[in-house]
Amino acid sequence: MEREQQKMVIEALLFLTEEPVTVKKIGQVLSVSPEEAESLVCELKENLSLSGRGIQVFETAGGYQMGTLPELAPHLEKAFSEDVSSNLSTAALEVLAIVAYKQPVTRVEVESIRGVRCEHVLDNLVKRKLIKISGRKEGPGRPRLYSTTADFLKYFGLKDLSELPELELESRPSEETGETLSRDAEIPAGVEQIKYDFENQNGDH
Amino acid sequence: MAQQEGYTIKLPTFEGPFDLLFHLIKKAEVDIWSVSIAEITEQYLAYLQSMRELNLDIASEFLVMAATLLRLKSKLLLPRSNLINEEETEDELFEINTAEELFQRLEEYRNFKEVAQYLREKEEEQKKIFLRSTGGQKVMVLTGQESVYTIWEGAQHLSDIMQRFSEVASAKEYTPAFSAVEDFVIADKADYIESTLQEKQRPMPMKSFVNGDSLWEIIVVFIALLEMARQKRVDLLQECHFGPILVSLKPKEEQHEEVNVGERTAENGH
Repeated sequence: MEREQQKMVIEALLFLTEEPVTVKKIGQVLSVSPEEAESLVCELKENLSLSGRGIQVFETAGGYQMGTLPELAPHLEKAFSEDVSSNLSTAALEVLAIVAYKQPVTRVEVESIRGVRCEHVLDNLVKRKLIKISGRKEGPGRPRLYSTTADFLKYFGLKDLSELPELELESRPSEETGETLSRDAEIPAGVEQIKYDFENQNGDH
Repeated sequence: MAQQEGYTIKLPTFEGPFDLLFHLIKKAEVDIWSVSIAEITEQYLAYLQSMRELNLDIASEFLVMAATLLRLKSKLLLPRSNLINEEETEDELFEINTAEELFQRLEEYRNFKEVAQYLREKEEEQKKIFLRSTGGQKVMVLTGQESVYTIWEGAQHLSDIMQRFSEVASAKEYTPAFSAVEDFVIADKADYIESTLQEKQRPMPMKSFVNGDSLWEIIVVFIALLEMARQKRVDLLQECHFGPILVSLKPKEEQHEEVNVGERTAENGH
């Protein structure tokens, strides 16, 4: 298949798909390597922007997606007058920010950073599928652990979590560690102690 | 709440005590780490006081923070040796024992507040990009041939619309009332009545031809009997109003005679 035709296939694929498409998937469709697919997408992206089109290809949530140009929004809003989804509240954004950096994180940990109860906000974010319950923390009560979702990345148009700004004070915890009870000051010493006791007790059995 | 006749006071809303403290520090134009606990406590309490004067509900978290601040302030006034045996705080949300700790938590909160601001900007940016179907935010359906797009707000996803379509489509096929009638075809019922009568060789009440308790079956049996009476295949006998209807087979030779006289309730449309 010629290069131009491959790009046409990608364009059609992205046009049809509602979700971000990974380069791996594009590679499968075209029977090329993900690296080759990536370079094809980049070319397509450039072609579109150079030929004065109303649409663009952008990277989001670990894949590529087709959408309109942001500068067309004032016009398109006339056609699609209803802004169906309202913006997130400040509280919701704060909670999301904390979950994004501290995940997997318990409600109490989120609350200790914000200094406010967050149960309701967390529930709503789960309902909006921006965060999910990713497991339970070992220890008394086995509290739920919250993590961000792919929808979170999509909602904010982020490629991945590394696109979030660096935190100044502390080093970011690695995302994939199952046990991320940070030894930071905000975790009450009592909880740590109880957790320690509990684990040791378990070990005895 | 804060509204009285023609008089509105607008207070900034705070997400929590940290938010309020952070706001006060910013107003004072000082660095978090060089904040005077005494001053900040005073300002914090003044703010709570103004909230109270306006009859605003003060969330308990704000009050706990007020207590924490006062405790920190009092500790600064006391000689150090008295601080060794620190009593345990019950609420883990406000396990703050030193000014240092408070500043650290404020600093951490400030960090996340900045990230929240960053997310707000990204949200705004992303809102300007329209997608074919944005994860259930805007779903477009092509209606008619004039390319009229309508947005169905209730739809969370394209699958919602697909489901709605299939519901409408299948509604045409799913006709429970008719299918119930079809279970009892008049002609079949007539045959059944005739064969039963032939077998038993005696008059039988109409009820005995109704096997279930469905209203439809009773109706079908009744119509079948009327039809059979019209065709002169059976005789119907009812002794009194609302009494049982007795059905008897007409002898073959009589079936083609004109009218059989008797106390029949059978009719053929008259």
